[in-house]
Amino acid sequence: MENKIEIANLKVSYGDTQALNGISLNVHPNEILGIIGPAQSGKTTLLKVINRTLEFNQGISVEGTVKLDGVDINSIGDVYGLRRRIGMVLPLPVGLPLTIYDNVAFAPRTAGIRNKAEIDEIVERCLQQAALWDEVKDRLDSLGTKLSGGQQQRLTIARALSHQPEVLCLDEFSIAVDPITTMRIEDVLKTLKNEMTILLVTNLVQQAKRLANRTAFMLNGDLIEIDETDVIFSDNPSNRSTYDYVNGNFG
Amino acid sequence: MNRSNLLYNVIAIVILALVLFMFWNFAASTSYVEGKITSGGVVIDTLSTIYGYLYGMIPICCVLILFSLAVAFYLEEWLSHRSWQYRIIERIIAIFACIPSLVYGLFCAYFIVVKSQQISYLTLTIAVFFIVVPVTIRTTQQVIQKVDLSVREAAYALGAKRMRVIADHVIPNTFPMILTGIFTTISRVLAIAALFIVICGWKITESNSKHSFDIPNNAIVLLSSALLFSVISCLFEKKKSL
Repeated sequence: MENKIEIANLKVSYGDTQALNGISLNVHPNEILGIIGPAQSGKTTLLKVINRTLEFNQGISVEGTVKLDGVDINSIGDVYGLRRRIGMVLPLPVGLPLTIYDNVAFAPRTAGIRNKAEIDEIVERCLQQAALWDEVKDRLDSLGTKLSGGQQQRLTIARALSHQPEVLCLDEFSIAVDPITTMRIEDVLKTLKNEMTILLVTNLVQQAKRLANRTAFMLNGDLIEIDETDVIFSDNPSNRSTYDYVNGNFG
Repeated sequence: MNRSNLLYNVIAIVILALVLFMFWNFAASTSYVEGKITSGGVVIDTLSTIYGYLYGMIPICCVLILFSLAVAFYLEEWLSHRSWQYRIIERIIAIFACIPSLVYGLFCAYFIVVKSQQISYLTLTIAVFFIVVPVTIRTTQQVIQKVDLSVREAAYALGAKRMRVIADHVIPNTFPMILTGIFTTISRVLAIAALFIVICGWKITESNSKHSFDIPNNAIVLLSSALLFSVISCLFEKKKSL
């Protein structure tokens, strides 16, 4: 099986602080890869390296290679096109200062879609996938920033889906969403897996257990273990600290 | 603030500028003195000559403000903050912005009224350059830096290009604060222009004993305008969207 993403000896530092210490892992196509680990273990940094949004931080040093479909992402000249291929949902909802409709239509318009009917269809589909359509369908012209925290988070998910990415990076997507809505979005993710590869960073280990085909455990910038989710959550993962973390003995 | 609000703000500002311009012309039409300087080979004939030069400075002032905004956006959006170019430019701007505008005004008055006794666009432009550019760049930079990185990241993560992010997110978010900086700068320029006219008026009356020194009407108009611009800048500061 060809890997969708190949990461080799990835090292990232913020000035003097080492965030990732030479990580290597592969992500298969159409799988959900759960990435778990305590705070400061480098999970978010890993996602930001993959879609090259880490470049906005000052004083970053990145070594190693990240390949998407066998192509080094740093050799891709059209970084904007790369970011459209790799969608990203950030931990806290960031409503762009636009209407709900324009928030979701932002990426398709950026990609050059001008047909109103086509954009309408994308907006409705993405809002439905993000379990938000029923709540906002009558006020699409309202500002996205006026929605509640949970609704804004679902709006960011809808936005990330709007450009139909090949890879979807979800960074703590359910942090501001209630449990019932989380379950609805999780159902959507299980369906979306057929269309795209999903990287799911979560602090909720049970969420990784529910959703992920494989799970990676990170600690202090190191990849401790990556394996089938059933193995990681069994009584016999390869590393003792993995067992301790998923069973709540630390973290 | 979305694009339509931005458009409304721009229209409001244009109307405001027209009203101010009309007010200024009306008030300035009551000229103070046409007295010629008769002794000492002074080339400055009348205060109206000075007014002509000052009116001529308005487009230069506008160009300098636009230049400053462009530099500020270039520094914050394109140039790496860790590059040596950024650090040097940043340091130079900081130094010049810290010097009170009064110093530049006195520099201008010294060269025109005392030293060369000739008005030149070059001297005026240099003075206005140092009053306008460093302060406008610095205030604009500070406003741009306040735009949350997460907003940029969210837009870039959707594949938006830099110009799109600036046009759709940075400018709408920073527009009121940028206007505050611009109006504050204009206010300073007007106050310095008033000072300049007062010094010139005093110099003329000193050379010509027929006139007793009085503060020229135009200086009062300029000072009133400066005050008005300060008030407007405060209003925009309250309207800030950050």
